[in-house]
Amino acid sequence: MSLDKISNPEAIKHWTDVIPPEYVYTVGVAGERFFREIKENGRIMGTKCSKCGYIYLPPRIYCEKCFDYIDEWVDVGLKGRVYAYTVTYLDVDGSPLDKPIIFAVIKFDGVYGGLIHRLGEVEPEKVCIGMVVEAVFKDKAERKGSINDIKYFKPSD
Amino acid sequence: MMHFPIKRRVAVVGAGMTLYRRRLQETTKEMVFHAVKMALDSAGLTIKDVDAVVGGSAPDLFDGIHMKGENVITEAGGALKPYLRNFTGGTTGVSQQINAWSIVASGLADVCISVSWEKMSPCHPHPQYAFWTIFDRIIERPLGVNLVWIFALEMNRYMHKHNIKKEDIALVAVKNKANALDHPCAQLPAKITVEDVLNSPVMCWPVQRLDISPPSDGASAVIFASEDVAKKITDTPVWVIGVGRCEDTTYWMNRDLYFPYYAYYAGQQAYSMAHIHNPRKEIDVFEIYDPFDYKELHHMEGLRLCGKGEAPKLTREGVTQRDGDMPVNPSGGLMGVGNPIAAGGGMKVCEIFWQLRKEAGKRQVKKDATVGLAHAWGELMQGSSVLIMKV
Repeated sequence: MSLDKISNPEAIKHWTDVIPPEYVYTVGVAGERFFREIKENGRIMGTKCSKCGYIYLPPRIYCEKCFDYIDEWVDVGLKGRVYAYTVTYLDVDGSPLDKPIIFAVIKFDGVYGGLIHRLGEVEPEKVCIGMVVEAVFKDKAERKGSINDIKYFKPSD
Repeated sequence: MMHFPIKRRVAVVGAGMTLYRRRLQETTKEMVFHAVKMALDSAGLTIKDVDAVVGGSAPDLFDGIHMKGENVITEAGGALKPYLRNFTGGTTGVSQQINAWSIVASGLADVCISVSWEKMSPCHPHPQYAFWTIFDRIIERPLGVNLVWIFALEMNRYMHKHNIKKEDIALVAVKNKANALDHPCAQLPAKITVEDVLNSPVMCWPVQRLDISPPSDGASAVIFASEDVAKKITDTPVWVIGVGRCEDTTYWMNRDLYFPYYAYYAGQQAYSMAHIHNPRKEIDVFEIYDPFDYKELHHMEGLRLCGKGEAPKLTREGVTQRDGDMPVNPSGGLMGVGNPIAAGGGMKVCEIFWQLRKEAGKRQVKKDATVGLAHAWGELMQGSSVLIMKV
């Protein structure tokens, strides 16, 4: 069999190409309100199923439990708890980052789901599972209606 | 759960695989041809004997060939025959065997070849860029999320919940890479120590370089046949006695992360069909999906081979070694043999076939194995598929 290891792609006859389409994505019906609230009011909003009481974050317009539509919106506050975290030392190309970045799954009390986001104003060794963290927003003028309108979550009481 | 009577017994009668490497010169089509040809030769069949073909490969973005399932129909031996592609991410390599099994069990075909492949190397600068695009476009991708994070978060939760040390998880990497030293197709066989793992570069804590499997090019194939045909092909058909599949919610922030329910339910389905009550006692050899070392432990617990949080202890005691009471990944797994996504799972099915036929050479487990289980995990990190076989 002729298969063997080739560590240098330049050493064999090859060609390069791209798959050309670009995409324009909507944020959806739930996403429209979610990001508008973040941008204009600095609030994190979920949706609540009036039948089963589940509060979804990120918000959805349907309930996966009872399979019905949802139209009630609730403010879940800015504070959550670290459920799991990682400290990333490399960028997507595998190059070292200047400063490690901490990412966490943040769950909000009484809410089904949560947000993944950066942690800030804290050193990696001080982070622990269960710690309370609070969203820190960009200045209103800089907010674009994106998840990055939240700069990071910082330790809180 | 519904139980339908299965129309026909089905056996695996042949298997083959290419070398697994970071980059192969062979094109996708050439790799697929190699694997199919080897499987046919191992069973003494020609392509004319094949009634239907299943192709399995994960995202088109790796090979960079849109509709890549259809791209290989000729090389897979599927021209002018029923052909079906399975496209379920990491579970593909085992899920597609369930497709092939059902095609034969239903009577649609007597002989069905099932080929798995992935050619990840065309994706530049790194296949990581393709993984990147699977995340939610509005909630996750703007943060710069990459694939390793998710595993780091899950591994962190698993370690926290059960108070598991990295030293114990590293033992899986040590075992699997050592097992791969005896696999002629392996990409990353190595004799390493726990210290080597703990001293390897930190990517996303707690994931370090040696906790993770590589991107790979490779293909594997197995052949399914109905009972009467299988008995004519070989004296040692390997019977499929149980299959199971399950997916959890796509919203990974809604999963508890420390216990893989998808593996649990897929396992329960397959155990139920195979009339297995105690998998640890009634199954002899396991190939469990191990793209990361902790994932072998995670899935052992999900598949009920031990209690929650107990898999590290079994590993430490040597139970999962090739000469242990419950060998896990005697092939070397994805950590050692390589991880061409769909073909990673396909390799595991090949290994169970070879183990049960006593054809695994230096990799042969010590105990007299008559029942084996292959498991794969993936989709959007939320699914599992299980195949149980018996000689």
